Amino acid sequence: MILAVVDDSFPAAWIPPYNTLVVAAGVASVGFAAGVVGCFAVLRRRALAGDAAAHATLLGVGLAFLLGGGRRDLPLLLAGALSTAIAALLGLVLIGRWTRTRDDAATAIVLGVSFGAGITLLSGISARGIPGSAGLEQFLLGHTAGLTAADATILGVMSLLVVGIVALFLKESTLVAFDPLFAAASGWPVTLIDYALVVLVAVMVVVGLPAAGAVLVTALVVIPPVTARQWTDSVGVMLPLAGLFGLVAALSGVAVSSAVPRMPTGPLVVIAASILLTISLLIAPRRGGLARWLQARRTVAAWADGRLLEVALRLDGDGPFTREQLLARAPGAAADSAFKRLVRSAAIEPVVTRAGTDAWRLAVWGRELAAERSRRVAAWTEVLEAAREDARGHLTIDVPSPEAILGAARMKAIRESAAAERVAGEARPGQPWQPGQPMGGAGG
Amino acid sequence: MTMSTTSAGLEFHDVTVAYGRRPVLWNVDLTVPGACLFGIIGPNGAGKSTLLKAALGLVPLAGGEVRILGAPLEQVRARVGYVPQRESVDWDFPVTVTDVVLMGTYARLGWLRRPGPRERSLAAECLDRVGLADVADRQIGRLSGGQQQRVFLARALAQQADVYFLDEPMAGVDARSQERIFRVLSELRAEGRLVVIVHHDLRSVAEWFDAVALIDMRLVATGPVAEVLTPENLRRTYAGRLDLLDEIGRAVAEGGRTP
Ligand SMILES: Nc1ncnc2c1ncn2[C@@H]1O[C@H](COP(=O)(O)OP(=O)(O)OP(=O)(O)O)[C@@H](O)[C@H]1O
Ligand SMILES: [Mg+2]
Repeated sequence: MILAVVDDSFPAAWIPPYNTLVVAAGVASVGFAAGVVGCFAVLRRRALAGDAAAHATLLGVGLAFLLGGGRRDLPLLLAGALSTAIAALLGLVLIGRWTRTRDDAATAIVLGVSFGAGITLLSGISARGIPGSAGLEQFLLGHTAGLTAADATILGVMSLLVVGIVALFLKESTLVAFDPLFAAASGWPVTLIDYALVVLVAVMVVVGLPAAGAVLVTALVVIPPVTARQWTDSVGVMLPLAGLFGLVAALSGVAVSSAVPRMPTGPLVVIAASILLTISLLIAPRRGGLARWLQARRTVAAWADGRLLEVALRLDGDGPFTREQLLARAPGAAADSAFKRLVRSAAIEPVVTRAGTDAWRLAVWGRELAAERSRRVAAWTEVLEAAREDARGHLTIDVPSPEAILGAARMKAIRESAAAERVAGEARPGQPWQPGQPMGGAGG
Repeated sequence: MTMSTTSAGLEFHDVTVAYGRRPVLWNVDLTVPGACLFGIIGPNGAGKSTLLKAALGLVPLAGGEVRILGAPLEQVRARVGYVPQRESVDWDFPVTVTDVVLMGTYARLGWLRRPGPRERSLAAECLDRVGLADVADRQIGRLSGGQQQRVFLARALAQQADVYFLDEPMAGVDARSQERIFRVLSELRAEGRLVVIVHHDLRSVAEWFDAVALIDMRLVATGPVAEVLTPENLRRTYAGRLDLLDEIGRAVAEGGRTP
């Protein structure tokens, strides 16, 4: 008692107890491994199979509890969970192979049947008040508060083992997940690798039970990979990134639930994972919603700016022009705001100058800009004709200078080959096409 | 040139394949000599893809036997290359063009060994050969259909095989890409390799192929292009698909004009 009082009054008490630290480390590695393994489940479109396996774990927990004579021994219960999870996956395979039931229906059947059986068994056990059965329902939604350091160590070690296996067989797993047909044709045991990956998912689902519970553990396997995919186009990056997201989700869920008494961890873990996912869906570069929206806006604006300048140059040849005239010749949703930008630019480096209430002239700088743009458009057209791949690979909507991008030497070579082609074309004039006649000479 | 010239490149002896109880290939007997461009031609659902899969051991045979380079498939697996139909994979998969081409070297590497500098330079060479050096680091989804098809071809080149099976490598490919692919395939033949192609466009058959097989569940005819692509054989292959006959008739008429 006295010790406790002393503890409370010193900052040293803020260091979490040993048990909490071990549990946190265990949960962190569970989250990491779930994210890593989940990548292949997601890429191979097997996420639902993982969910069926997860729901089947409850039945195994109940059976193991009864077989173990009412002991709440975590390794024993998890072994039971793993066996029914794998049985569920086996059921899926068999239904798929021997009946004409479709995959999604088969998954729903296995999930429903095994989950129903599991819930029934657990309710029966707790209704009979079998000693030690209190707390079995924690496997439904997850609860890490009761984990001992020994339990957490087991979970952590298994997770690291799973990550190690995936890292070791990264090449083989990627090949099979991307193109199973090609893999089989080049002699890889595709079915074996496939099953091994699914079993690893089942193992992770079981290992993740204490943290997230049977109902929600799939989220820990599925959400982090989808989140990671937003940020990268490479499997090699996606795996550790998914692991990292899983780790953060699992840890924050566990941290919050330890602060709130009797709060199951599963929902909190899922909420944390979903927050990361939502943020990624919004702000990830290139794939994120925000980036796409900005890109679309920028594209439209850049094109409108350029078109307006082009039209202004033409109109300016006949003296001052009005806003109406300009917009009529460069129609488009973004033309109006492009015009405003054009006018605003006058304050800094005048592109247009005012020649009346609604009369405008191109300024010297504006004329230079417009001329440069026309030159670039012409140059790119030449590139497109003489070196299609160069143009397709590098031309962007803001019409950059081709010399700056392709290099002056390459540009010179393209010009020369275009000129040579023009000469050759003049040397053998093609017959002009007549309406009503088929285009001749294609096949020679 | 590792191929012996004495044995045929590909032999089907009385091959029958069934999905469930429905036969899809019926007693197919086919011998393809080594070192040539060989076309498999037939209507949709004729069993062309199935024929390739039977050769590659991807579907079980209900009966018969397949030999490649004179041996059962298991013994020559390392010498066989494959280009699947483009729709068979998810192009949003997070891998780059180079990653995919490297997959052609995986079988040679075996378990656990990762591709090294030698494999990387081979992959670059194969990409260059199909004209995709510029997009080597792009994610595969950001390619056009014709480019994706050429990525698959480059992966097959990286397999450095002696017998190649290609399932509709020209599907959705424009004339330029098609020309490029055919050139690479002709080079393979010149190097003494056998190239078996499932193909739909009858017009280009006469121009590029040495020999063909017409199939519609059964083998209708096989041999040099000029002997096989007769109106009578085409009618027997495409019979019952009247909508196609018109198109075929036109194609044959045009094919006849091709030198
Ligand atoms: N996995 C399968 N299970 C059941 N039937 C199949 C399967 N794959 C193909 N079939 C059937 O076998 C027949 C031959 O199919 P196959 O894919 O070999 O045709 P194909 O000649 O390649 O056609 P396409 O020109 O459309 O590619 C078709 O009737 C098809 O419906
Ligand atoms: Mg096919």
